Amino acid sequence: MDVTVKIKRYDPESNNSGYVWQEYPIAIDENATVLDALIQIREDDDGTLSLRCSCRSAICGSCAMKINGQGGLACKTKASESMDKDGVILVEPAGNMDTVKDLVADFDMFWNKIREIEPYLQPEGVVPEGEYVVSNESMLHLSAVTACILCGACVSDCTVLEVDKTFLGPAALAKAYRFTADPRDGDEDGVSRDRLKVLGQPSGMWDCTRCNICVQVCPKGVAPMDRIMAMHDQAIEAGYGNNNGARHADAFIESVGHTGRLDELRLPVKTVGITNIPALLGFAPVGWRAMTHGKLPPLIHKSVEDVQIVRNLYRKLEQ
Amino acid sequence: MKYAFYPGCVSQGGAPELYPSAKLICDRLGIELDEIHAWTCCGAGVMQEKNQLFSDTLNARNLAKAEQQGLTIMTICSTCQGVIAQANRRLLADPDYLAEINGYLAEEGLEYKGTAEIKHLLWILIEDYGLDNLLPHVTRSLGGLRLAPFYGCYIVRPTEALGIEEHPERQTSLETLIEILGATAVDFEGKTKCCGFPILTINEKNSMAMVGNHTSEAKDLGADAMVTPCPLCHLNLDGFQPKAAKQANRSIDLPILHLPQLIGLAMGISPAELGLKKHIINTAPLELKLASSTSS
Amino acid sequence: MLEHDVLIVGAGLAGMRAAIAARDAGANAAIISKVHPVRSHSNAAQGGINAALTDRGDNWEDHAYDTIKGSDFLGDQDAVEVMCRAAGQSLIDMEHMGVTFNRDDEGKLGTRAFGGQRVARTFFVGDFTGQALLHVMFEQLVKSGVQSYEEWFVTSLIMEDGKISGVTALEIRTGQLHAIRAKTVILCTGGCGRLFEPSTNALIVTGDGMALAYNVGARLMDMEMVQYHPTTISGSGVLLSEAARGEGAYLRDKNGNRFMEKYAPNMMELASRDVVSRAEQTEINAGNGIDGCVHLDCTHLGEKFIMEKLPQIRELGIDLTGKDMIREPVPIRPGMHYIMGGIKTDVDGQTNIPGIYAAGECANVSVHGGNRLGANSLLDTIVFGERSGSHAADASRGVSFSNFNEDEVVSREKKRLQEILDRPDNGDRWSRIRREMGDSMNRNVAVFRTKEGIEETIEELQGLKQRYGSVPVHNKGKVFNTDLIFALELGFMIDCAEAIAISALERKESRGAQFRLDYPNRDDDNWLKHIVVTQGELGPELSELPVTITKWTPEERKY
Repeated sequence: MDVTVKIKRYDPESNNSGYVWQEYPIAIDENATVLDALIQIREDDDGTLSLRCSCRSAICGSCAMKINGQGGLACKTKASESMDKDGVILVEPAGNMDTVKDLVADFDMFWNKIREIEPYLQPEGVVPEGEYVVSNESMLHLSAVTACILCGACVSDCTVLEVDKTFLGPAALAKAYRFTADPRDGDEDGVSRDRLKVLGQPSGMWDCTRCNICVQVCPKGVAPMDRIMAMHDQAIEAGYGNNNGARHADAFIESVGHTGRLDELRLPVKTVGITNIPALLGFAPVGWRAMTHGKLPPLIHKSVEDVQIVRNLYRKLEQ
Repeated sequence: MKYAFYPGCVSQGGAPELYPSAKLICDRLGIELDEIHAWTCCGAGVMQEKNQLFSDTLNARNLAKAEQQGLTIMTICSTCQGVIAQANRRLLADPDYLAEINGYLAEEGLEYKGTAEIKHLLWILIEDYGLDNLLPHVTRSLGGLRLAPFYGCYIVRPTEALGIEEHPERQTSLETLIEILGATAVDFEGKTKCCGFPILTINEKNSMAMVGNHTSEAKDLGADAMVTPCPLCHLNLDGFQPKAAKQANRSIDLPILHLPQLIGLAMGISPAELGLKKHIINTAPLELKLASSTSS
Repeated sequence: MLEHDVLIVGAGLAGMRAAIAARDAGANAAIISKVHPVRSHSNAAQGGINAALTDRGDNWEDHAYDTIKGSDFLGDQDAVEVMCRAAGQSLIDMEHMGVTFNRDDEGKLGTRAFGGQRVARTFFVGDFTGQALLHVMFEQLVKSGVQSYEEWFVTSLIMEDGKISGVTALEIRTGQLHAIRAKTVILCTGGCGRLFEPSTNALIVTGDGMALAYNVGARLMDMEMVQYHPTTISGSGVLLSEAARGEGAYLRDKNGNRFMEKYAPNMMELASRDVVSRAEQTEINAGNGIDGCVHLDCTHLGEKFIMEKLPQIRELGIDLTGKDMIREPVPIRPGMHYIMGGIKTDVDGQTNIPGIYAAGECANVSVHGGNRLGANSLLDTIVFGERSGSHAADASRGVSFSNFNEDEVVSREKKRLQEILDRPDNGDRWSRIRREMGDSMNRNVAVFRTKEGIEETIEELQGLKQRYGSVPVHNKGKVFNTDLIFALELGFMIDCAEAIAISALERKESRGAQFRLDYPNRDDDNWLKHIVVTQGELGPELSELPVTITKWTPEERKY
């Protein structure tokens, strides 16, 4: 099978300061992965190509990179499924991080964020002599999160990290959930209060924009965004709901629960807090523009016709 | 062609130009809309986060009602599309879960049997209506117009809930439509990224940065306007574009169009009728360019 | 000046465990690794970790006997005793560190059956136990604050007056060469699988520590004992865990028969790995295979079961063979996987070179003897990693740093590397030589061996060694120059290959993983001993060491 692997190359020691696209037309096996192609290029054609790879079986996490613009593991991506109609596969280093050389990204930011969340079990109670007695369900649940191989595909494509490098990011937050969901971490009830408090601060769990990209690109099914959402619940339950994110969700569900529709006018007010004068004043320019363009949501919010049924369900299932 | 219409909250709330323009073009195209009786908010992903059972129950009611109507659901919002499709997937994946929820629905005599189909207007036009059938309605050429497609996260991810495997062409549906209407689609990196709306009241700076990045990128690539099938994206990209421009310390001035407005313009309907006057970002330059392009 | 009491080379399970132990014992410890710790090959171990827990009515002596029998009685029984005694506590320690082990209905640690064990004593996390353990160990490393030189490649050991003084290392990101002073060095560099082609091993497993130690006079022992794992994927050589068989999978020939009945009527698919690999190869050679493979059949296990217990290998099967084990059998065949042989150490990790320790796969205590039982390797790394770390920390207390001139050492090493970089471009690339070596080893020093075959490989290795001297490095840069590193690793691999081949030729019997068609029987009278290779003036020199026998008299091994 003939393919052309088009690689975004960067050599910090060369005279030109930017990157250069280089094309490698090669012949590979039908079942080859993109990594097989890259290794072949490195071994037979061009020993100057630098990339990280090791296990070839999606367990070491070394070969995370952008293939056709999307983060993923080169060893888990089939070449035949990645070619465009001209047989070209685009390969670049992982996003949101600086490039060291060619396909080698600077993972310092990644590791720093992992370290920041104190990624080790912190049991507060007495350590038993034998093993902790915990349910298999709880361990199986954690298995899905511990399947994370710290490859960085999610961090590469995270849309929040793209605009804000202080965001903890999907990998670190998913790792944090691995502890907040571990019955052995935290107090005797397994509630990791200190973690949840810290993670709820700015640039933490509430800054996720829910775009689903990390879920889409994760090669191990970790679903970081879903873990972040689960941590929201844990944080609120542990009493750390004093923030816009938590209030937003509360106000939303209350509005729909009472009327069947979303009261868009009152939602932002309740999100920032009805007594939060500075924030409310901040809405003024936008509110004014909306009003003058006839876009302000109606002051009187109408309920749906069968709202009584909705309220009954709300009472039963939410309160 | 008849559909169980699910307009979603924002199309009559913060983006009130969407509902009438959608109804208008469907009417002209001969697509009958039978609005789902007393439909409830889909939850926008926010309710799902807080209480999945409650929000799935509310969506199950929407689905059951559409099932009773015997019609496919049409959505006009990427978020509604994605959220309801995800809810449907959960209900179909776990019979016990569906049974539990049907238990709550039974009290009002409803039951969701699992047969509902949910499709965005964008897909309906390409897959059901057919582009060949759409073409005769395109009376005003959009030739010369460069339009940037902005999908909205919920209509492109997660792929399993959106039938992308069976319909891979859905991933380029906006470009397809833009081209068939006679305009040129601008390819830019931000087209499937996040507009920042979900974190608007949580981290405004990041939200504005996202708006600023995507609209600037499209503008700098020569886009005359951006088109989006999601009114929540529209709210951010249009309503907050002035703020985003201020934060980015540059001018952007990129008009944002709802999908039905784009189609309406190509069908020769006037900008005023389509509610363009309600937009925050002035659409006059776009309208000028439109008027000066030759009609077919 | 970089200096540490204990410097650990390699950040896999053994290395990180040693580093933490050294630090806990109060030493100034540091760990150096050519890849980030979580990229280490320990993460590819899938099946589980063995331990005999007394509160379940199990006892360490049974585990020891199973291990010794599995080793075909070449294992040193005192070392096996140490490992099996320590297993229970090591396991609990890992659980306390946070490993998400599988549980039984009462919430206590769950077990699965595994090869060569008469009782189920393999504790596991799905089918990715190695990754689970490695990541938890990394978490503990972060917690401990041990200094970590990540992506630094050790190019040589610095010796003064016959004892270790430090290492020279290439900082891969910048190309800068450093000398690190150390009182003790623990080599935890893993196996040397890449000198076989194919192999289950990752690309980084190139025998670095074994060769480095060998080149300063350390003893390599039992190098001929190379394990071929029964269930590897054709082509890539990637591993499908023994856990599948542990959970009840069958091996079938082209006619659907469970052929293991002929070879191990009692343990069937769970006989020791060498027995199963030989059985498979025999069937394949006799024409009962399917495209050079046999079938691993999990179809009777059920979807829910497979998704809970074997999710990773199911994905591997789909990704790399296109077959979903829930619905159809997966083709597999024996593939090179592990080396029981390695740097000879005592039970505290000490080698014959003062100050140099070794632990993990690169070491040979010997606990695995002629064949390693599945799930004993993870145990080996943790027990002996811990012991080495503690011992080295204590040993470093009475020692002072050596006084070598750092600039001199660095510039000498720089010159050596520059000479390699300056070679003319016309030699064979490193990849070509590695492939030839790999093919030769896989042909003649694999499951079935003969005198002629091994001699052919020894000769071919001589030729490759010559050509190695002119391997060009096409990347002349400093930053992330992997081409240079691969050339250096190739040198390490050739040294290991040579040791393996001559040891295989020397042992004129079949035992454990070594099967000689010309000497098909075990010969305790003449060969119940370890074969040792050391570097001599004119090339490798052979010698021997006795096998330590404590409680268990060697007997015929039947499964």
